Amino acid sequence: MTPLSFEALYQEEWQELESLLDRVLGRRTPVGRPPPVRPERIAALYRRACEQLALARARSYPAYLLDRLDRLTADAHQVIYQQRELGFGMLARIVTRDFPRAVRADARYVWLATALFVLPALVLGPLVYFDPNLVLSVVDVATAAQFEQMYAESAESIGRTREAGSDWLMFGFYIRNNIGVAFQCFASGLAAGLGSVFYLVYNGALLGAIAGYLTERGLSATFYSFVVTHAAFELTAIALAGAAGLKLGHSLLAPGRRTRGQSLVAAAKECVVIVYGVAAMLIIAAALEAFWSSAGWVPHAIKYSVAGFFWFAVFAYFTWQGRREG
Amino acid sequence: MRTAVAPDVLDTAVAAETPEGILLELRPAGLAARFYAFLLDWVIRFVVGYAVALVLILFMGNVGVGIVLLLYFVFEWFYPVIFELSRSGATPGKSLVGLKVVMDNGLPVTPAASLTRNLLRVADFLPFAFGAAIVTMLLRRDCKRLGDLAAATLVVHQPQRPLKTRLEGVPPVVPARSLTPADQAALVALAARAPTLTVERLDELAALAAVVSGDGGRVGPNATRRVLGVAQWALGKRV
Repeated sequence: MTPLSFEALYQEEWQELESLLDRVLGRRTPVGRPPPVRPERIAALYRRACEQLALARARSYPAYLLDRLDRLTADAHQVIYQQRELGFGMLARIVTRDFPRAVRADARYVWLATALFVLPALVLGPLVYFDPNLVLSVVDVATAAQFEQMYAESAESIGRTREAGSDWLMFGFYIRNNIGVAFQCFASGLAAGLGSVFYLVYNGALLGAIAGYLTERGLSATFYSFVVTHAAFELTAIALAGAAGLKLGHSLLAPGRRTRGQSLVAAAKECVVIVYGVAAMLIIAAALEAFWSSAGWVPHAIKYSVAGFFWFAVFAYFTWQGRREG
Repeated sequence: MRTAVAPDVLDTAVAAETPEGILLELRPAGLAARFYAFLLDWVIRFVVGYAVALVLILFMGNVGVGIVLLLYFVFEWFYPVIFELSRSGATPGKSLVGLKVVMDNGLPVTPAASLTRNLLRVADFLPFAFGAAIVTMLLRRDCKRLGDLAAATLVVHQPQRPLKTRLEGVPPVVPARSLTPADQAALVALAARAPTLTVERLDELAALAAVVSGDGGRVGPNATRRVLGVAQWALGKRV
């Protein structure tokens, strides 16, 4: 068979596939009202085109033919094997099942990250409480003064007089700042886990030092009632982000029976579920922090009850959610 | 069928095999192309961010500042993700340079992979000024940065439409021996470049390929014409 007769024989099929692909890929708007695209027709034509390409290559047909078939099969391949994985069904499945399961599956990283985050806070908190000057080992003078002013009894930022506009300002600020910290905590884990360790310990130390300092200054009432609610989401999320980072680092250090590359790819795939969850938790945290924690008119008793509920809910979610098959 | 590229050939092409046994050729983009794309994206984000911030803060006060901060957050972390998941598979900067992001197997990038490679940009930045990214990209044949390694993605040159060949009036010549697809592609590429070469240089290059038309060892306009004739044949012209 000559290349020309080969082309003449299959020309119609190729044209049909080309026009179907053009429509699916939106490269050309059809004229009038053509019949709807039948996916199984594309698949059938694609398989035939693959066969014809293999034949054409084996017979060393001219370049223009190979080129056309190359482009045809490449386009169809993209259309047929495309993974559409992020729909609403996928999101619902992550929330109700995949996220808590992933956290439980990586429990050892989660506990390690929690320890790295909480222990520095527990050590530095009392230390700074008994010797307030130590706060300067973590932050500079200006920052310490700023925190003190933020939580002062008369401060506007916590107080009753804050208007709705600044709630929105703070929402934007918390999203940018906190989710940024969490993402950094995760991503820097690629450096053999060291980055995650650093960010966890540093943020834990910062938290402990500020808490100790403000308690010593006698601002505990405003400070704890402010942070306790959104902390349920924020602190947990940062620990989880750190845990995902530690997992990444560990997959590189101890790849087991895989190559380091394969091990990293597999770990990243599992970690990304946790990262989705962490981002969602931090958005909740930012909304709470901006619109609820800062509401000075809410009595402390109510704030602590709501906070208790959220802390319980978060732990219950990770303990029990998604245990059943399905 | 094109066989695997010999290791001593200076070619970075990666072949991805489909379940149907067809090899797709991917051409990973190098450091320079990706740097230009990054620079363009940076400029686009800066200009858009600055303009939007100006308007929002002027007209909406504190709420505007809040929205601007949200917007900066989205720009910082999700600008690449959003564009990579669109049909083009590329940020505006990458589109302008002619790059796109695909999975290792040549498929469109998945949401999880896009998020992974863009979050891990932080690790690529270490220790400073994208040091880790530059070193890994220079060391690897497929020019992946750390984020690409973890997400199993590749940044490739978008397949180029072949150069238009202008061979009107060149009569096709049946090749004197069978030509592999690579040989034919080389001839067609020579024909496409012919208008940009000086006559002398074209003769020189055509002489190297003159065996295909059976005039091995001959140099000159006639030999060149016959070599281009074989290219014409490879392009499907008969008669």
